[in-house]
Amino acid sequence: MMLMSLSITPEPRDRMNKRLPVPFSTQLPEVIRSNYGRWIDRKFHGNGIIEHVSETGDKVFTVKVGLPSNSRVSVDTLEKFIEIADKYGLGVVRATRGMNIEFITDSLDKALKIKEEVEKLGFPVGGWGTSLWHITSCTAYLTCTTAVVDAPSITQVLYNNLKPYFTGEEKLPAKLMVFVAGCTNVCGGTLAGDIVIVGHYGQAPKPDPERIKFCLPSSTEALKKAVPDVAAVCPVGAIKVFGKPDGSVGIEVDERKCIACGRCKNVCDYFDWDPTKIGVAIFVGGKTSNTGTGPRLPYKVIPWLPVNPPEYREIVAAVKKIIDVWRREAQPGERLGDYIDRISIDEFMSKVGVPRTRHNRCEEASWNFGVRQFITYM
Amino acid sequence: MGTETAQTISDLERGMKMLEYLEKGPWPSYVTELKKTKYPLEPYAEGLARKYTPWLSGSFRVRYVFSGILARRSRDGKFVEIHFRTYAPAGRFYSTSYLRKVVEVAKRYGIGLMEFGGNTGALVLNMIAEKADEAVDAIRTIMGSDVGGSGDTFREFYACPGPALCEFALYDTLHAMDYIRSHPAFYRYLNTQMFPYKIKFKFSGCPMDCATANSRADFALIGTWVGAPEIDQGLFRKMVEEGKINPKEIVNSCPSKAITWNEEKKELNIDGSKCLKAMNCIRKAFPAIRPGKNRKIALLVGAHVQGHFGPKLARAVALLDSVEEVVPFATELINKYMDLAPRRHRIGDMIIRRGFKVISEVADKTLPNKPKGTPSSHLRISIGTNLTDDERKMYENWAKQVMSEYFGGGSGSR
Repeated sequence: MMLMSLSITPEPRDRMNKRLPVPFSTQLPEVIRSNYGRWIDRKFHGNGIIEHVSETGDKVFTVKVGLPSNSRVSVDTLEKFIEIADKYGLGVVRATRGMNIEFITDSLDKALKIKEEVEKLGFPVGGWGTSLWHITSCTAYLTCTTAVVDAPSITQVLYNNLKPYFTGEEKLPAKLMVFVAGCTNVCGGTLAGDIVIVGHYGQAPKPDPERIKFCLPSSTEALKKAVPDVAAVCPVGAIKVFGKPDGSVGIEVDERKCIACGRCKNVCDYFDWDPTKIGVAIFVGGKTSNTGTGPRLPYKVIPWLPVNPPEYREIVAAVKKIIDVWRREAQPGERLGDYIDRISIDEFMSKVGVPRTRHNRCEEASWNFGVRQFITYM
Repeated sequence: MGTETAQTISDLERGMKMLEYLEKGPWPSYVTELKKTKYPLEPYAEGLARKYTPWLSGSFRVRYVFSGILARRSRDGKFVEIHFRTYAPAGRFYSTSYLRKVVEVAKRYGIGLMEFGGNTGALVLNMIAEKADEAVDAIRTIMGSDVGGSGDTFREFYACPGPALCEFALYDTLHAMDYIRSHPAFYRYLNTQMFPYKIKFKFSGCPMDCATANSRADFALIGTWVGAPEIDQGLFRKMVEEGKINPKEIVNSCPSKAITWNEEKKELNIDGSKCLKAMNCIRKAFPAIRPGKNRKIALLVGAHVQGHFGPKLARAVALLDSVEEVVPFATELINKYMDLAPRRHRIGDMIIRRGFKVISEVADKTLPNKPKGTPSSHLRISIGTNLTDDERKMYENWAKQVMSEYFGGGSGSR
């Protein structure tokens, strides 16, 4: 009957008003609802299981499970997770911000059983405390029109190489948050991460001569009315749109001005570039948390590396180098950005050994962001 | 002959070999997941081999749906890819009964693939184009959610788990998210494309900012407090005696030197006027040291990664006592944003073009008695890089050197 009624769309105009999801409280098991706002402590069992302790004496255990790149899950796998969550958990899971899945249960025995079951399926448990919390990836070539490099495959290779830092066999000084973005939009999470890998053109994109007309006004007359998006979005004014004597509209990109930010590509599909010149930049030391020395944007430590799928060795080696420098010398609990702050960015760059050019001068910056901006009143 | 044979290998074949490689290794592979679905691997494989995304924007319409559906077509025109962003319950807690409905919709109307923890905050479902119209109603009626959050509108909201699981939650982030998302002043825009660009609200329960509001939110609402953290001296002393914490370490962990330890009295003191809310001492000595009782919600604006003028962190506006207080401010600021900002400019870009007074005027009008922050100045970072061939060569040579350090001398031959 449901199927029958659905084959005739209900009043389509109803779609004008979005249906917001069922209230979050209906998703929560009774033990969480009754301890809402009453949690007072936590204990770690390994680095993937947290025991949450309430003032009522109740406890829940969360089990953090790593997912494939871009948290891509088939319904087949999700059904297996549902089965585990019902059998050993409280019938609820959580999607973390870092693209993991967290199972919730009410005893350590059950938590360990969940760990065992997901590991049988090939999914690792870990990622809390002083460990690799996640490698977060955008969709890139899977579905995206503006991707320059493919983030999911880079993420897969990095996870393969860095897994011991997630599961805990290898120790880190503090938590490590890695983000991989296929282009300069950085949909892969945030730029304010410990290590952020961003695909970019490494060159000035060129208009596709045959098809750029679809992004331009059809005539000089139309051009007078408004600057088209494709030129308006350029933050450095490198894109000129002009009327031609024959009445059509031309476009020119000043390559010397271009900073390869990709905003023109965001609004017009018909730009082209040389795939042999694309690369990734690696930003280091960003942080959004107020811990340590506070929120910060990262330094552009490596402006460009080649991308060579499927092994991406240049990227893997550079990321490992950055992690090793930090591991060797950071104080316990010291995030990558706080470590760089302490020793100075110049010292960090010389330890990593990356060449300095106009693209990664990385002047030291003083930071005072987040809630620290309220210090006068606090 | 061998060379010529090698040259006849197509991009598709090279790409499929790459996908085989990506299925190996200790981490669960997304390629393995894709193979369990009807996702079209061919364009993806070709794109990987060419280092060129295979997708162009598609044109796709479902009646009365103006946000939440994204459509792509492959460059060769052979494949179509449709995905739906669906709203998630606050905190992204999913009961298994809800997930069974998700599975039902994904099986019946989709290719069996999803993005379980999408970065936008949405649960993303990859759908079959021919069934998209019906699928919208299935999501509304079977799942109890809707498509939304794409384009120049409110993107999906995001709240940290807050009081559902976290002992550090300083306000109720989950109710706050639901309140804002359903409030008429904001709800009315969900199915429109009326903004110059996107707007995001993010809710973090404490200064550790697990929702990354400081770096991604046009409207950041971060739990904090006024004054010093609360110290249970008896418990602290006990934890010191038991060797669980070292008072010198607590003192040294404070970035503003607000903490002192009186060795004789065995007493810890925190100067509230200096406290930066770094949470270092709290995390080390919890629950002997807890956030202060005078709880506030810090309102900050203008953070994002990619705006017209590059990445920005959020700038301080005011300390609120409840989430309701943000409504007049946000309503007024959104109106001003629609009036003043050019297309593809975020609120943070508007601040740069017009100065922070564009914000402080609204705050003075709508939040006249709230303590105001002292916003920091904008840092300039360029994300993209336009290099010369020589510069590219320098970084490539450094990469070779580091590769030999981590992969051995054989990295040169492949």
